[in-house]
Amino acid sequence: MLIVSCLTCLGAEPGLRPFYNRMKSLRKYLAILTWCAAAGLALAADSGGPDSPAIRKELVQVILGIDGDRQTLLNDLSETGSKLVGDTLLAWTRGSIYLYPSPDGTKQPVLLEDAQDATGKARAIRLSDGEFLKDAAGKELRFGDNDLIAADTDMRLRSAIRQTVDTLALASPDKDARFSAVTKLGNSQKSMYVPILQARLTKETDSTVKRAILEGIASLQIGDRDPQVQIAAVGHLAALHSIGNLETLQKLAASPKTDPQLIKAANAAVGSIQSHIWWVNFFGTIFRGISLGSILLVVALGLAITFGLMGVINMAHGEMIAIGAYTSYVVQNLFGTGFAFAINLPFSFMGKQLGFSLSLPGLNATGWFYQSYFLFVLPLSFLAAALAGLVLERAVIQFLYRRPLESLLATWGVSLVMQQLFRMVFGANNVQVNSPTWLLGHCTLNDVSFGYNRLFVIGFAIMIVLGTWLLLAKTPLGLLIRAVMQNRSMASCMGVRTTRVNMLTFAFGSGLAGLAGAFLSQIGNVGPSLGQSYIVDSFMTVVVGGVGSIIGTVYSALGIGTADQVLQQLLGSPVLGKIIVLTCIILFLQWKPGGLFAIRGRSLD
Amino acid sequence: MHKPTNYELWFVAVAALFLLFILPGLNAFTAPGSVLHVSDFTINLYGKYLCYGIVAISVDLLWGYTGLLSLGQCLFFALGGYMMGMYLMRMIGDLGQYHQPIPDFLVFLGWSKLPAFWQPFSSFKFATMMAILLPAVVALGFGFLAFRSRIKGVYFSILTQALTYAGCLLFFRNDMLMGGNNGFTDFKFIAGHDLRLPATQRELYICSVLLLLATYGLCKWLTNSKFGKVQCAIRDSENRVLFSGYATAHFKLFVFVLAAIIAGLAGALYVPQVGIINPSEMATDKSLEAIVWVSVGGRGTLIGPVIGAFAVNAMKSWATRAYPDLWLMFLGLTFILVTLFMPKGIVGLPAQIGALRRRFQQPKTDASEVANSKRVEEQIKPNLK
Amino acid sequence: MPPSKKFILTLEEVNKSFEGFRAISNLTFYMDEGELRVIIGPNGAGKSSMMDLITGRTKPDSGKIEFGFDTDLTKLNEAQITRLGIGRKFQTPSVYIEHTVFENIWLSLEGSRSVWTTLFSRVTKERRDRIYDVLKIVSLEGKADWKAGALSHGQKQWLEIGMLLALNPKLLLVDEPAAGMTDEETHKTGELLLSLEGKHSIVVIEHDMTFVRQIARKVTVLHQGSVLCEGTVDEVQNSEKVMEVYLGRKKKH
Repeated sequence: MLIVSCLTCLGAEPGLRPFYNRMKSLRKYLAILTWCAAAGLALAADSGGPDSPAIRKELVQVILGIDGDRQTLLNDLSETGSKLVGDTLLAWTRGSIYLYPSPDGTKQPVLLEDAQDATGKARAIRLSDGEFLKDAAGKELRFGDNDLIAADTDMRLRSAIRQTVDTLALASPDKDARFSAVTKLGNSQKSMYVPILQARLTKETDSTVKRAILEGIASLQIGDRDPQVQIAAVGHLAALHSIGNLETLQKLAASPKTDPQLIKAANAAVGSIQSHIWWVNFFGTIFRGISLGSILLVVALGLAITFGLMGVINMAHGEMIAIGAYTSYVVQNLFGTGFAFAINLPFSFMGKQLGFSLSLPGLNATGWFYQSYFLFVLPLSFLAAALAGLVLERAVIQFLYRRPLESLLATWGVSLVMQQLFRMVFGANNVQVNSPTWLLGHCTLNDVSFGYNRLFVIGFAIMIVLGTWLLLAKTPLGLLIRAVMQNRSMASCMGVRTTRVNMLTFAFGSGLAGLAGAFLSQIGNVGPSLGQSYIVDSFMTVVVGGVGSIIGTVYSALGIGTADQVLQQLLGSPVLGKIIVLTCIILFLQWKPGGLFAIRGRSLD
Repeated sequence: MHKPTNYELWFVAVAALFLLFILPGLNAFTAPGSVLHVSDFTINLYGKYLCYGIVAISVDLLWGYTGLLSLGQCLFFALGGYMMGMYLMRMIGDLGQYHQPIPDFLVFLGWSKLPAFWQPFSSFKFATMMAILLPAVVALGFGFLAFRSRIKGVYFSILTQALTYAGCLLFFRNDMLMGGNNGFTDFKFIAGHDLRLPATQRELYICSVLLLLATYGLCKWLTNSKFGKVQCAIRDSENRVLFSGYATAHFKLFVFVLAAIIAGLAGALYVPQVGIINPSEMATDKSLEAIVWVSVGGRGTLIGPVIGAFAVNAMKSWATRAYPDLWLMFLGLTFILVTLFMPKGIVGLPAQIGALRRRFQQPKTDASEVANSKRVEEQIKPNLK
Repeated sequence: MPPSKKFILTLEEVNKSFEGFRAISNLTFYMDEGELRVIIGPNGAGKSSMMDLITGRTKPDSGKIEFGFDTDLTKLNEAQITRLGIGRKFQTPSVYIEHTVFENIWLSLEGSRSVWTTLFSRVTKERRDRIYDVLKIVSLEGKADWKAGALSHGQKQWLEIGMLLALNPKLLLVDEPAAGMTDEETHKTGELLLSLEGKHSIVVIEHDMTFVRQIARKVTVLHQGSVLCEGTVDEVQNSEKVMEVYLGRKKKH
């Protein structure tokens, strides 16, 4: 009894939650489940479409074994794709379908409900229409386990039923379900499924599933006895670039028993698939390179502004990135259970230990609202880093505009202080930021997988670059910024409030770093020295691109990002790849000392 | 500029006397319980500071005198250290954990024979020569490329940072066969002396003092020569030097290589005293720390960097014990404050205080006029560059 | 105008553009040995760019730049060109402000400039005398121990000229020597330049027409990167072309 209800329930709530969760709550929801079992069958009568009564009729016929050949009927049923069929047939193999001898002498297949009354009896659901059995007076009939005879199955029948259930999903209206069913059959190594798949192929409309069916047929046919069929199948697999069958093909080619012609074909197929894999990896690498380049771009764009335009070497730029990343951590916690920290200073004053603590309550949000936290992270990480940048500019950098080397040193001091602050507030270990579900998946195009988070980063980087370019090139503020950056004292003489422009520009550059940090929190771990690992790369990016040139930064970020990933792939070692990139950059600067897009001035230095 | 020279000479003479004779004498010839006794630990600590002082001078030679803020000095320091470390590893012999005739980490990596490039490091002379040669060659190659394409100012800093980073990554790799991220440690002997004996450590300490004095003397002579004048001229207005007919790239290359050699030697002396060398010595932060010493002590002078190295490291030794969590914050804040308020460091402090006092005491005298006009000059200065 | 005799400086068909802007276009310019030539022209006429090309600060896109008989300057860098004997004074005075006046001249003194010689070079009696001679010419002998940064603007200009003299160049390129000077200082500068005529070849770029009138024998007018006309001050000032593009707007100078 329990099994039926359980099955129905599983079907009714297609599994997102892990299985053990369901098991745990099973007892608690037993009542609801029972209702589901009844309602599931009952509802099927209405919602199963126009042919639903026909399906029921056929099911009854199969179980009773009258009016026609069971095998033909099962084949018919497997075409329906109906869940009802699967559930019922499985129940039948387990002996949970009972035969009720009705007063008119016929037998009626029924299911017993899970919920039993005090005497151990349960209501019966009639398979033919999904209604409860009632006596003439309209009273519901109740039966115990032993009151009825279970519908019989033999071994051959069970195997036929299992095959039916396996192929049932092929006709499912859901294409993902069809796809996984095809894959399952394709990997089953049972040649009996070949005709079923072939039959399905003529009816299939979705191209992905079609491809999977072809692949499945071919992979089943490899096991065929006829070498000609095998060779044809191998050819199909080669044409389909079937990565999943590479190993099978390699084994086939290496096996001493294999027909020499087949070996040749298999070797050709292996070669073809391997070259396909190479291209898939290549495009995958390029894609990862571009997405890494996009991150580098957002990081370096902030630097291109503070360093390239303002001439300030901000060694604390990496910590601005970390601020952005920690902002997303804090926001995530605020949407969840809240955020708290406490710092104890190793000093005491009048016998009391000094320290700070802060505790913010969380919203305990769930569902889509919790998932939307990242949308709040974006503006907040920008603002948090921009604010930090503003403070840094006012407190330190404004005194050092004429001493770029010293701004490097002072900001390194700032970077040390900030790293230590992160350690005190968030701990020395990495913290975990969970990506919202809508950034987690990926889509696959010709076997190359594109992660949504990486696609998102690329798209956002494009928007940020466009935005920055528009701000600098098309707005009055941009005009002021460019004026001040070219000649601070002249702009000041012309009545531009240079202090304010400096402040805003620096805050903007830092804010961009914060945004980059928000992205990085989605891709890797967040720790106190997060920024340090990007600072060298991003300085390089700006130098290679040509200091002060936004477009140069774009090119060099994408170039360095891609080169980094490609070299990693080629050399199989991230470290060597990085070293070669750095060496290439140093050599590149021999050829173009001013970077890709050098801004040439006519002034003395 | 000329007046403090006398003070400087006196200071150097007294400090040399103290470091070279009094400290080691008190260590060797007094009983451990005595008030005057200097512990082995202190001697070892001071030996470390002295090596830092030598590095600091090399940083200052580049930054203070030539205007090249190199973030790569720790790379050369570590390279020198590694060369000496290779020798020290060879001297362990078969006393390692695995009792094999080759260094433990090689056994661990599956080697049974010594790799070819390790062979000559059984010789102390060869190792010392390499501690000079390797930093020099790296500096020569990199400097040649950098100065040829006229990379200067902050770009030079960034590139040296990248170089250091690349070196650091390289030495972290196990297949470099240089000990990976554990580096070299557990040294036993140097040139036939047991490293674990206080006497050996005292001798190393004395070598450090001598190397520091030699470095000081060399740099003193160098900066007072016409070469030194060209060096400072490059710092102040490199283009003008070019138009005076000096190939500035050659001069910068010479200083860069010299500084690398000095740092390499300091590293070679440092490693037997601290007993370990690993790639973390190459992190850019170490270079920046050395720059802090120079900045705190006073750049553009030769005693400033040494004073800075001693002061900051003494503070570090104290703070890492007293406030382990806050030490980095101290360092960072010190750096910010020194950069902002003490551009001439400790050495420049008396002059700075003097100027301040004059400004308050006699607001309307000629002295303040001069000070004012000087300030105006200083404001014009950056525009000229 | 084919070169009929030996010129100290030859520029032929020189072109140079910066990001699409043609700073120098088809510039052809000859100069005799020992000549004092003044170059005038409105802002952006290419005067400083021309100096940059001669001294190797920038390389021409096309054209010939030769020094003396056949020394190709386009292949050399600034330091090499200076060592050939071409000295340049910049528009804004550039001296070594942290060095004393004496050291400024010392560094500029002619002679070997390799790393090794500077390492072991000492101030000999002979050199000291030479330095003081130069200082006397530029009237700075009383300030030999001053830091150059402490000098007035005009004195810095002079110190820079002194540095040129110490170099003992064959060709002096002097960019606006009178800028920021008092009338008296300007006049003195003019006399100094005149006294050098014959011993050195001198190119002076100047805006101040009084000063130009004081020193000029031959004037070249640059306009939009090429030579507009050449001649004496009077010829130039009466040229209609010149009046149109330049003096017409600045008649009263």
